[in-house]
Amino acid sequence: MLIRSPKSWEIPTSAVTSASLYHDRPRRDFLRTLGLGLAGAALLRPSALLAATAGFPAKGNPLYPGSALKPTPEEYVTGYNNFYEFGTDKGDPKELANQGWKTDPWTIELAGLVRSPAKFDVNELVKKIGGIEERVYRHRCVEAWSMVIPWDGFALAKLVALADPKPEAKFLKLTSFNDPKSSIGQRDHNLNYPYVEGLRLDEATNELAFLATGVYGKPLPNQNGAPIRLVTPWKYGFKGIKSIVRIEFTATQPTNTWNIMAPSEYGFYANVNPTVDHPRWSQASERIIGGGIFSGRQATLMFNGYDKQVAGLYKGLDLAKNY
Amino acid sequence: MAFFEKLLRSKIFVWTLLVLPGLWPLWPIFVVPDPSVGADPLKFILHHFGFVACVLLAVVLTFTPLRVLWPKSKLAQALNRHRRLVGVGAFAYALLHLIAYLLGNGLSTLVHDAYVVPKPFILAGLTAFTILLVLAITSLHALVRWIGGRRWKNLHRLAYLAAALAAYHQIYARKLFPVQVLWIFGPLALLEIARIVRQRANAAARPKAAAAG
Repeated sequence: MLIRSPKSWEIPTSAVTSASLYHDRPRRDFLRTLGLGLAGAALLRPSALLAATAGFPAKGNPLYPGSALKPTPEEYVTGYNNFYEFGTDKGDPKELANQGWKTDPWTIELAGLVRSPAKFDVNELVKKIGGIEERVYRHRCVEAWSMVIPWDGFALAKLVALADPKPEAKFLKLTSFNDPKSSIGQRDHNLNYPYVEGLRLDEATNELAFLATGVYGKPLPNQNGAPIRLVTPWKYGFKGIKSIVRIEFTATQPTNTWNIMAPSEYGFYANVNPTVDHPRWSQASERIIGGGIFSGRQATLMFNGYDKQVAGLYKGLDLAKNY
Repeated sequence: MAFFEKLLRSKIFVWTLLVLPGLWPLWPIFVVPDPSVGADPLKFILHHFGFVACVLLAVVLTFTPLRVLWPKSKLAQALNRHRRLVGVGAFAYALLHLIAYLLGNGLSTLVHDAYVVPKPFILAGLTAFTILLVLAITSLHALVRWIGGRRWKNLHRLAYLAAALAAYHQIYARKLFPVQVLWIFGPLALLEIARIVRQRANAAARPKAAAAG
């Protein structure tokens, strides 16, 4: 539990222009009545469907097929979201991230200890990387619920290769967008913004680490972290930073947002581990999203079932201390 | 005002107010399906029943300070007719909350979080529930008489402890501070402070009044 007292320079929510006014609904309605009809509506519709369109439809990666796992219904994947920039209730982001927040065009920057620092338009980046693929991954939230999600995107290792890290680079620091005008959470300062996450370089080049630009065969909806987000299926969901604008390669371990907020509850590693409890709840089992009222719980697997791929990364590391 | 007072005195009216919130989850689950609820309907039900239990507990505890602060108010008097009903209502929702928890998490998770690796917020919730259970049972007429007025009153002061534990339980169940806790328990805290100030003032005034008489 955290109590944040607002800083003197913070503006109360009540003083903020409502999103609907800000995004000039009258103009949109005016254009509609002018008879621009569909053309006008298409020009002015929220940009969600335009985010990172390159590469679709993606080819399935046979190593991570949907046949092995039963994907969670799409309406829950896109309607039950933790994206505190757009509210703390699970239903908030679907509504509040689609009131004019622009995710197209979108630039992502590679910086820090790399030989090829660069800025890319996200669609150009996808083309440069060589397109996208589909992988069906388990998703385990630190709040002890889980989904199965078909992501579209590319291996983070490809981006690391593109950046060409210098030998002294040991970590990746990933930063999300900062736009308080579009983000009610950033106006309320419910977390330290912009949201920051980090990975060890060897974690980032692990075959599982993935940058998603889509879900369910379509460009990412805003509420799922459009246009590009991290997916690390062996870690708790909060590691999967959304709407990335910058990836910096560093020599020292970056401090991630939830670790700043509550260091005793959320660590740097955040590996899914049924034997290490959250201080306030058990991580031994999880609720299955979309399972209905009587679904009960299923046992949580070590590294969320991906121990074959990642266990080697943590040999000799005390996972109870490095949670 | 007379109509409102009559309404507040009516048992049927209060029963309706107590039962309706229990039916609310049917709306986002069945009537107008909301995917953020349908994703894990039991969690929604769990939080909702816990929320209603907290609200009812906070509400029933305001009845006494309201009567102390406004002794002549007909509304305060009307409300105080329903102390037992609303209090037992709070217990009923706490019971539904616990049943929803057990349905979703199983007894093994409860044992794990309360005993194997104890979690303070789970223990706080269980203690609050146990208090409400004892208070609900001892609200049977026969038991009230058997225990006796003063002892019964002292026992039922545990309701304040239950409210404090429920507030703690609600706060620590979340990743960030839930502002609703302030809306639920804030007015009660203010009324209690006002009541204590008033009772002190009354007690100080009494000997003087006796001396003057």
